[in-house]
Amino acid sequence: MGRKILLIEDDRETASYLTKGLNQEGHSVEQATNGQDGLFRATDGSFDLIVLDRMLPVLDGLSVLKALRAARIDTPVLILSALASVGDRIEGLECGSDDYLVKPFSFAELLARVNALLRRRESRVDPAEHRLTVGDLEIDPLSRSVKRSGKKLDLKPREYLLLEYFARNEGRVVTRTMLLEQVWDYHFDPGTNVIDVHVSRLRRKLDEGFEKPLLHTVRGAGYMLAA
Amino acid sequence: MPTTLRIALLAGLLALLSNLAVIGFIYLRTHDEAVVTVHQQVVEQGKVLADVYRSGGKAALDDAIQDTMTYADPQTAIAVIGPRGQQVIGNLETEPSLALPLQEGYHNTLIRLHGQTTPREAALVVHRLPTGQWLVSGRLAGEGFAIRETLERSLLIALVVAGLLGLVCGLILAHYVGRRVHDIATVADRISGRDLSQRVRLSGAGDAFDRLGRQINAMLDRITGLMEELRLLTDSLAHDLRSPVSRLRSAAHAAAEASDPREQEELLGSVIRQADALMRILTAVLEISRSEALTGRKQFSWFDVGELAAELTEMYDPLADERGAVLEYDRPPRAVPLFGHRQLLAQAVSNLVENAIRYGSAGGEIRVRVEPGERQIRVEVGDRGPGIPAERRDEARRRFGRLDSSRSDEGAGLGLALAEAIAHLHQGELVLEDNAPGLLTVLQLPVQSKQVRAA
Repeated sequence: MGRKILLIEDDRETASYLTKGLNQEGHSVEQATNGQDGLFRATDGSFDLIVLDRMLPVLDGLSVLKALRAARIDTPVLILSALASVGDRIEGLECGSDDYLVKPFSFAELLARVNALLRRRESRVDPAEHRLTVGDLEIDPLSRSVKRSGKKLDLKPREYLLLEYFARNEGRVVTRTMLLEQVWDYHFDPGTNVIDVHVSRLRRKLDEGFEKPLLHTVRGAGYMLAA
Repeated sequence: MPTTLRIALLAGLLALLSNLAVIGFIYLRTHDEAVVTVHQQVVEQGKVLADVYRSGGKAALDDAIQDTMTYADPQTAIAVIGPRGQQVIGNLETEPSLALPLQEGYHNTLIRLHGQTTPREAALVVHRLPTGQWLVSGRLAGEGFAIRETLERSLLIALVVAGLLGLVCGLILAHYVGRRVHDIATVADRISGRDLSQRVRLSGAGDAFDRLGRQINAMLDRITGLMEELRLLTDSLAHDLRSPVSRLRSAAHAAAEASDPREQEELLGSVIRQADALMRILTAVLEISRSEALTGRKQFSWFDVGELAAELTEMYDPLADERGAVLEYDRPPRAVPLFGHRQLLAQAVSNLVENAIRYGSAGGEIRVRVEPGERQIRVEVGDRGPGIPAERRDEARRRFGRLDSSRSDEGAGLGLALAEAIAHLHQGELVLEDNAPGLLTVLQLPVQSKQVRAA
């Protein structure tokens, strides 16, 4: 299921590396090398996702983003930036971007986020109305109850949120930073393995006593929930 | 020294101008006074003679004139002039060039008395007598003018003296100011020449120059402090980056050399981890500088600090548990609103908690408290670990100030420095206290006034 992605990035090396990687995933990529050109192409509105570098010649990334949102183009935007501080990240998100990735990043991290954003666009129906199922795992977002093979799992509120986020990204890699941002809404880099501890606790409740594990560790990238 | 000369000339000029104003005033006043006095005398005299004529007729007037010419002072002018301008009686020399103003009233004009060779200015009163003749009486203004001339001369001398005195005072003043300014300028010069140890010498008089000097000295202290901090930072950054960079390099080298694909993959994973650690250090350093530069201000909003601390405690509880410690949170009785940067404060508090978990877990209990106060909100994180002795707490707060540098821990030693920078962004402080036993780290954040809140 290839998607159309607009990549606005002035660094040719990064651009060709990303294009190659995204093409391998089956997406078609159109490139723009400055903000003005990027904005022009983006206003077409036919893209499924825009990957936008923050520092661009002619027109900077945040201005492009603001112009897009002002023109009521709601294509999801993932910002790439070398500006890593919490303030910069928040500023990017407040300008209307859907996600923010700090350079340098691993391609796995980028891909995980790209897929999460594309997925979000796919399911525009109110997610709370649907039951989520992953293999023999059943999640009811309304009552926040979780069953595996019919057996009720007793999760703490945060563990539930963590699991629901995994389930909504079933079969896709979810990185530690994505978890911190999406489940806790914090945008700093913790200096400890605090996220891993939470995931391993969840895993214990989720997979212990079952033959087939659902929550997998993806080396060098993060985690994935898959049957 | 052209500046000194300019100041001296300016002072001289100012002295001259102010003296000119004073002297001019005196001159005008005395001049007016002299004129008024003469005027009064002349009018009086005219009135007396007119009265004499009215009561005694022409004979009495002639007698009075005769008496006046005989007995009055030589400045007095008196005469009866015929209708055609000829003198009937009197002490005036009539000549065509000195035509008398034959009109009723008071006049200033040039006349010549008998026995005088040059005409002189006089004040005259002219009356028309019923006979058609003119009664002229008055005084030479000589007396008043003589006083005036003396006065004018003295004033002129005074003016010159004042000007000279002004110039001398100006020179003295300029010398004094010049010397004080020169001292300060010399220090500034030496500083431009890279010698930051120079300080302005203070006279102790507490005057404006001392104040300027003190300010310059304070500025220099601050610059020296900043330079020192910067030097320390660069040194320690270089030092702290050296080992991860060399680890990264050797891991990359080993990965390139490895023949077994599984081993290679493992080594590459380690390369990525090392690179991530490096990135974290750099991000933290950048974050500290930015917080200190107050760049995050525009993202301030109102939020409940108690709620934030609760969330973070919940987040770190499993980690503390894994390290064998209990993370407790004393929830404040009510909401603790604060206008600040929620994300940055979350980072600051999480740094304190991570710090406590990393170094204080052995003590068992880690306690987080939010204490709302009138003036300030205290966010405390206390552990029961080894703590930090009072004399080393400043060091611990410094960037890269990891006390036990031999320990190959994951912490880059930036946590407390970043928390402090974030506290500063909120006009607050990071305080390290004794938890007896253990370390108590406190973010002291001032409560904003109601006005700010309304804004």
